[in-house]
Amino acid sequence: MSYDVSESELLASGHVACPGCGAPMAVRYALKALGENTVLIVVASCWSIIAGPFPYTAAQVPLLHTLFATGGSVASGVKAGLEARGLQDTTVLTLAGDGGTFDIGIQALSAAVERNEDFIYMCYDNEAYMNTGIQRSSATPWGAWTTTTPVKHPKDQPKKDMVAIMAAHRIPYTATATIAYPEDLIRKVQKAKSIRGSKFLHVLAPCPSGWKSEPSQSVLLSRLAVESCIFPLYEVEHGEEYRITVWPKARVPVQKYLRLQGRFAHLRDEDIGRIQENVDDEWQKLVTRSDRAKAPGNVDQAF
Amino acid sequence: MTYQISFRNEGEMPDLPVSSGTTLYNTTGTWRYVRPVYRNKTSPCNVACPAGEDIAQYLGLVAKGKYQEARLRILEENPFPGVCGRVCPHPCESECNRAELGGSISIHMVERFLADLAGGAPVQRLPSNAPAGATVAIVGSGPAGLSCAYQLARRGYPVTVFEAWDDLGGTMRLGIPAYRLPRHVLDAEIAAIARLGVEMCTGRRLGDNLSTADLRAFSAVFLAVGQQKSRALEVAGEDAQGVVAGLDFLRRVNLGMPVEVGARVAVVGGGNTAMDAARAALRLGAQTVTVLYRRSRYEMPAIAEEVQEAQDEGICFEFLTTPVRVLTEDGAIRGLQCVRMQLGAPDGTGRRRPEPLAGSEYTLNVDVLIPALGQEADLAFLEHWAGGGLAQTLSMANGLLETDAAAQSSQTGIFVGGDSATGFGTVAHAVGSGKRAALAIDRYLHGEDLNGFPALDQHVHAAPRDLDPAVVRFADLNLAYFEELPRPEPKQRPAIERKRDFAEVTDGLDEQQVQQEAHRCFSCGTCNGCDTCWLYCPDVSISRVDHSDYQVNYDYCKGCGICAQECPRRAIVMEEELKWKK
Amino acid sequence: MEKVIMGNHAVSFGVQLARVQVIAAYPITPQTQIVEMLSELCADGRLAAKFIKVESEHSVMAAVVGASIAGARAFTATSSHGLALMHEVLHWAAGGRLPIVAANVNRTLGPGWNVWTEQTDSLAQRDTGWMQLYCETNQEALDLVLLAYRVAEKVLLPVMLVLDAFFLSHTMEPVDVPEQALVDRFLPSFEPQYKLQPGEPCSFYGLVTPEYYMELRHKMHLAMQSALAEITAAGNEFGRLFGRYYGLLEPYRLEDADVVLVTSGSITGTSRVVVDEWRARGHKVGLLKMRVFRPFPFAAVRQALAHAKKVAVLDRDISQGLGGIWASETKGALYGVAEPPVVFPFIIGLGGRDVTPESIHKVLDYTVAHDAPEDDTVWMEVKR
Repeated sequence: MSYDVSESELLASGHVACPGCGAPMAVRYALKALGENTVLIVVASCWSIIAGPFPYTAAQVPLLHTLFATGGSVASGVKAGLEARGLQDTTVLTLAGDGGTFDIGIQALSAAVERNEDFIYMCYDNEAYMNTGIQRSSATPWGAWTTTTPVKHPKDQPKKDMVAIMAAHRIPYTATATIAYPEDLIRKVQKAKSIRGSKFLHVLAPCPSGWKSEPSQSVLLSRLAVESCIFPLYEVEHGEEYRITVWPKARVPVQKYLRLQGRFAHLRDEDIGRIQENVDDEWQKLVTRSDRAKAPGNVDQAF
Repeated sequence: MTYQISFRNEGEMPDLPVSSGTTLYNTTGTWRYVRPVYRNKTSPCNVACPAGEDIAQYLGLVAKGKYQEARLRILEENPFPGVCGRVCPHPCESECNRAELGGSISIHMVERFLADLAGGAPVQRLPSNAPAGATVAIVGSGPAGLSCAYQLARRGYPVTVFEAWDDLGGTMRLGIPAYRLPRHVLDAEIAAIARLGVEMCTGRRLGDNLSTADLRAFSAVFLAVGQQKSRALEVAGEDAQGVVAGLDFLRRVNLGMPVEVGARVAVVGGGNTAMDAARAALRLGAQTVTVLYRRSRYEMPAIAEEVQEAQDEGICFEFLTTPVRVLTEDGAIRGLQCVRMQLGAPDGTGRRRPEPLAGSEYTLNVDVLIPALGQEADLAFLEHWAGGGLAQTLSMANGLLETDAAAQSSQTGIFVGGDSATGFGTVAHAVGSGKRAALAIDRYLHGEDLNGFPALDQHVHAAPRDLDPAVVRFADLNLAYFEELPRPEPKQRPAIERKRDFAEVTDGLDEQQVQQEAHRCFSCGTCNGCDTCWLYCPDVSISRVDHSDYQVNYDYCKGCGICAQECPRRAIVMEEELKWKK
Repeated sequence: MEKVIMGNHAVSFGVQLARVQVIAAYPITPQTQIVEMLSELCADGRLAAKFIKVESEHSVMAAVVGASIAGARAFTATSSHGLALMHEVLHWAAGGRLPIVAANVNRTLGPGWNVWTEQTDSLAQRDTGWMQLYCETNQEALDLVLLAYRVAEKVLLPVMLVLDAFFLSHTMEPVDVPEQALVDRFLPSFEPQYKLQPGEPCSFYGLVTPEYYMELRHKMHLAMQSALAEITAAGNEFGRLFGRYYGLLEPYRLEDADVVLVTSGSITGTSRVVVDEWRARGHKVGLLKMRVFRPFPFAAVRQALAHAKKVAVLDRDISQGLGGIWASETKGALYGVAEPPVVFPFIIGLGGRDVTPESIHKVLDYTVAHDAPEDDTVWMEVKR
């Protein structure tokens, strides 16, 4: 067994992500997919810190740190500026957290993709404002504890469906990915690179500190999120063609995923049952919408 | 190399916060309180192999297409891969974790594939290590004797093998029929041992034309005389003409001597000798061959595949029956009186004890009866042992020569092994036993003490790999990385065709199938260069060269433990940093 | 070539002549015509720039920052609430040392809604690190676009070009539109030292710890200070090439003046007429037109005003709790002068109320009639 993954290493050691953080993994894979002719834009997030303090940088591509709400807009300007200098082929990759994407940055993002700016927007979603100390965002799942949704009042709203929002913009390419499936993630980034226009990647990136999980289990959690269908891996072209890219080998109950995380420790069995029901519904909807003909292997075996 | 950048004044600084240094300045390894350490653990197959083969490792080499390296790795431990790849009951496969996901790896078939490879490099000699003048005599050219001879010869010892019969190979030649073990395979592997300079003296039987005095001339002696004596049926008429013991029958067949089988053959027993005798009798022209066994099929000690093949070839099986009298006419057998059995309470072996069913006697017409109820060591030579110049005779235990973990008998310098000392009854066990003796003799001849050998029911290694003794079981594996995949089955010649001759029954696997097996192998506990650790390291702290030689860069590893958690085969452990600081 | 054009279009022509490469904009009255015209210029190829039509002024400035750090000459225009919405990003542009030029058409901030002129919007951005240049005429608006890029690209700080709503933005005036070839001599293409360059991995604007933050701000301060000389030099060079000289200040009949009006923007023209009337009546009245608010030309102001007896500062802006912002800075400039003039801080024309010659007469009447202002600020023409 070996992986179809580039040897190129554009993320340096010494970055200051917490042990077991999914965020540097997502960037490492994305840069493997894109190569050196890339400009990375980092929206205010954990990655603003992870990248290292002045005068050091972890990314071995040009990197622009930018303000919270500017992920879509700065990228538009950078792309235009590079093109003005004749650098048509340079890929612009915006990296933002869920706060910068689902909340404060959604306006600029929506506008940029509506204009179909030629860039890739990658949201690494750890489901709360982790850098500021675990406050809820609109990406925080129902029932989760954060410092602003304490155990007595855990989050009472479902996670915003960002992919649906992006797909509703009819952009050429939208996809989900997660760190446990680097080949899938890399393939999607490469596909995104090959398409002109706006591309949105929603990457689930576990946060041991905020999820109250073991650092060693980040990949495991990422995989369980997919196998439990809490975070299915799929892609959407032009807002219409849905395609599941990784079918769970065997569906696992959401409980297996939730119970490894302290942020869900307070959930009662009936709460978990409710989550399971929602996940089942959403998964069924996704399967129905997906182009089964393009699914690898025997789909029905997955159930 | 220093990555630190320090601006002494603003003049040295850029006009704006632009960073051109790398975070390599920041040795995040200081955050760590546990560290990942590559530590290969033991695979169940390795534990199970009586010959001590490093199966996990050579399957890994096969997966990389390194067939000759894989073959040489087997030859480190076992000079008979061609034999064992065919006749071993492969306990390794019984333990194989793959059994849970599509069927155990067909290890014996991979071994056979490697052994049968054309153009294989000769077995490798090791740097000579023998003390000047040290010589070793080995009695018996079965797998134990030749394994011992092989290991010592490789180490530069002058070795003389004494064989009672005119042909080398012991049970491998005299007991196992050619349709299971083609003679050219055996001949080639023995010839390779001989080429190491081992002196082979055939026709020298201990206690007959080989005396203890002859052996005294050697610095050390290894006795591996095997088990030559068939157990008696212990019923009336047993000495009638037409009754021939299983081992004797097979020896005659295998040496090409004329054998009369008549039309109806009955074989008594449920072991491999019984199967071999029954199938050989069929091939010699018997019209019906019936195997009588006093327990049920489930208790049969024979290799299950052998039983199936025998059935496919038309051998009849009668279970829960046992002969009580050989019916004779003019001193020759004409039939067999049997009684039906039923299974009672479990006996000392854990199997249910067969008990006769009163009034169930019946008669069977039989031309030749072959009892194959097991065998024993023929230790008649011991009667003359002490008289031959040695102070005392060798001690016995449970009908076998007494031995310690270092294969030493009750007499210093006399080592014993193989079936006459261990009674395990397989080629692989004998190979392991001979190797054990060789390693012990090597130490003995260097005047080293012989403590520390593994117990007799555990295997020894000639070229041990650094392995954590912890065995990786199915539940330990990271199953996310493995899919259910079927075990390939080899082709067999059709029963109708193969039962007419002694040509090999079972084909080997082709290269594609062998690759499939090597890739199906979980490589339990042994890093096989899958890159999972490298791929998932969030700190880009794992390097490797060509999918091997993985190194953790402890300058940066934060000790998150993802590599150890994800390692599909548990070849990484997390260890407390405090332990390393000491 | 002389054209009769609105102030907004004067800015657009300036941008075209500056060969700007990336423009981002969002509509807001009374700036909109600037970008409307630029949009047409880009669409028909007369200006080889990418025009990004973003969804907010915050995104405008972010896009311009992105284009600028990518190495392109970038421009935008805004006004009032638009500028206020940009505020956060203005810091990023200045701290990022990006030579961006943004035109701000002064408009009153709400509530209530008011689209007419007032300088509070731009003056409120005084601490963002942007240079600010104020225009009196449409010609100045065009010329200062060119001067702004030249200075910005020299000192690596952004420039805000400020012009009054309607009185300039929508008023037609004859403007000499210079030849492109001559402009290219004055403003060659920009080759930035710091830019996003594939193959040259480095990061911009990451975390700066207390160890280095202060030095970076000090370097910015030095750059801002050096801009005074650079503006002067560029203004002189501009004059040599185009015949129109621009300095930090523009004194008018100041030599022997006892009473000096300090003005900025379109009020200046009105004031000049009034000064002439008062001079005709024999009063020693002069005028100091302020062009540069950031960096504030303290030394030049001190020198220009040191010999006056009274200084009347006209503030079409209000910093509540302080008063007029120009007055405050003017007082600061005179601090330490032996026998300094008395400063009369007038608040006038807020919310776009007309400042007529009569208004200026009232200012001078008050200043002459009083030894000192009766209050910290003097609110003119308030219906009490």
